[in-house]
This record gives sequence, structure tokens and C-alpha cells, in this order.
Amino acid sequence: MTEEQVLGEISKAVAQILSDKGLPAPALTADTELLGGDLQIDSLDLAMLVREMEERIGFDPFQDGFIDFRTAGELAKLYVK
Amino acid sequence: MSERKHIIVTGGSRGLGAAMIAGLLADGHRVSTCSRKKSAAIESLLASHADSFFWQEAQVGEGEQVDAFVKAAGEWAGDDGIYGLVNNAGVAQTGILASFPNVESERMIQINLIGAIQMARAVSPFLMKRGEGRIINISSIIGQRGYNGMSAYSASKAGMDGLTRALARELGPRQITVNSVAPGYVATEMSSTLTPPQMKQIVNRTPLGRLASEQDVFELVRFLLSDKASCITGQVILVDGGISC
Repeated sequence: MTEEQVLGEISKAVAQILSDKGLPAPALTADTELLGGDLQIDSLDLAMLVREMEERIGFDPFQDGFIDFRTAGELAKLYVK
Repeated sequence: MSERKHIIVTGGSRGLGAAMIAGLLADGHRVSTCSRKKSAAIESLLASHADSFFWQEAQVGEGEQVDAFVKAAGEWAGDDGIYGLVNNAGVAQTGILASFPNVESERMIQINLIGAIQMARAVSPFLMKRGEGRIINISSIIGQRGYNGMSAYSASKAGMDGLTRALARELGPRQITVNSVAPGYVATEMSSTLTPPQMKQIVNRTPLGRLASEQDVFELVRFLLSDKASCITGQVILVDGGISC
């Protein structure tokens, strides 16, 4: 999967999380900050996003330890092998 | 609980775990468990509760096996998802620490504590998604009070109580409660390690004059799983006949 495709999956997963909370899904770009920015998600939502991405992409990039990421683009890169 | 729920109980192949599973099934719930081998109790439940009981081979403490089991249990339950987790799997070995094999300490920590953390990690996304749920850690009075010859076991159970408090804070915003149920000197846990005079001494020192039974422990678990306990979280509740008071 390309970085752009992964970003699309992140966007869909974030939209689902926000939808479950009754919130609209804003457009998501590589520079979108996942926490502390405009997205109305909290740290628990972020944990759900990571687990959802594991389901969607098929592997867990954090299996061997935590990797710091801040934006959607930085997270997407972790799923590109 | 009036509504049918799906609850995972670890360490369900015998003892307290098997008793809790039988009780939850009798209450009309669906229950999943895992173990290294299919015990006679598991075989019997699979035969008698084909639609409400799920078992898969998995070793608590082995992360990939735990993840695979929880995923399979979630899929088996379908729309019921997963409502609760009872972390009951555990092993106990006794011995003076100075001569206690390190490998036995590591095994106890791995199964009793790391296993509980792995299970909670695997189950919590299911609970977060539904915006409710219960995690109950079966710890022990020995985690609070210590016991001669049970240092590593005590550490593993005290660790579970720490997990309870931290996870209660973490998952509280999603209306998920996390509590420890700490049995006192239950016969099943201690029978292999205490002599009859030691057991008699414990009973004599217990205000209610008897050891807690598996049913006593299950009654608290049942309550904590119910809607009635929705405002209780982060607690370690002892079922010990009052010996710790």
C-alpha cells in the first residue's frame, strides 16, 4: 500500500470514530495533527485508531515498541513497508 | 444483569474460573475462555452449552495467542461483541525466595500479571467501541498482605491491583469499570501450600469463622458485572471473611 492509500484508510478510520461520537469528519491531510489539533479525538480514540489500522492494513508497526508520531502523515508512513 | 452479555473468563478450565463460568452461563450469559488444553470441565460445557460457550486453545501470557483468542471470541459472539473480562488465570508456586528458581518467578509474573495486561489490552477496544464494559481482575489478599514463601506471587497480584487502578482511570471516560476482586485464603488457592494446622489458624483468626468459598467470590464478580455496580471502579474488594480488617 502506498502512503497515500494508507492516509486514505486513516481518513476513513478517523471518520468512523468521529461518526460513532456523532461528530462530522473534517478533511484529513498528511499534516493533520491527530491529537491537540482540530480533530476532536482524544487519546482513547487514538488508541482505537491504531487498533483499527492494524485490522485494515494487517500488521502492527508498534509490535516491537512504541514509535512517536504526531500527524496523520507520520502515522501513515509506519504502515508503508 | 437482565440482558445477555458476552464475558471472557480466563483460567476457566478448573477451580474458581470453572465455577464462575458455570454461574455466568446459568445466569444466561455467553462466556468464552481459553486454556492450554481442553479439560474435562471444558469438554462438558462445550457439550451442554454449544451456543453460549466458546473455548480456544491459548496460553495466557503469550501475547499473540491472547490476541488470536480474543479476536476469535469476538467473532464468535457476533453482535454481542465483548462486554466483560474476568482476568482469573493464574499460577501459584511457593518457596523461600533465596532459593526460589528465577524461572518460576518469571513464569508467575508472565501468566498472572503480563497475561492480565495482555488480555485487558486485547479486550479494551471492544469495550471502548460499545462505550461500556467491565474488567475484573482476580487478585488476592496475598497481594495486599504478603505471605511467607509467596513473594513473587504476591508481587504479581499486587501488580494486578496497580493495573486495576490505572486502567480504571484510563477507561473511565468510556464508562468501563475496572476492579479487583481479592479472595482471602480460599481453600482452592492455598490448599496445596498450607498445612492443616496453618489452615485452622487462619480460620480461627477470621471474624466470620470460615474461609471464603468460590461461590462467595463469584457473587461479588456477578455484582460487579451487573448494571448495579456501574459507579464502582478502581477498587480492590476483598472477599476474606474479614481477616484483613
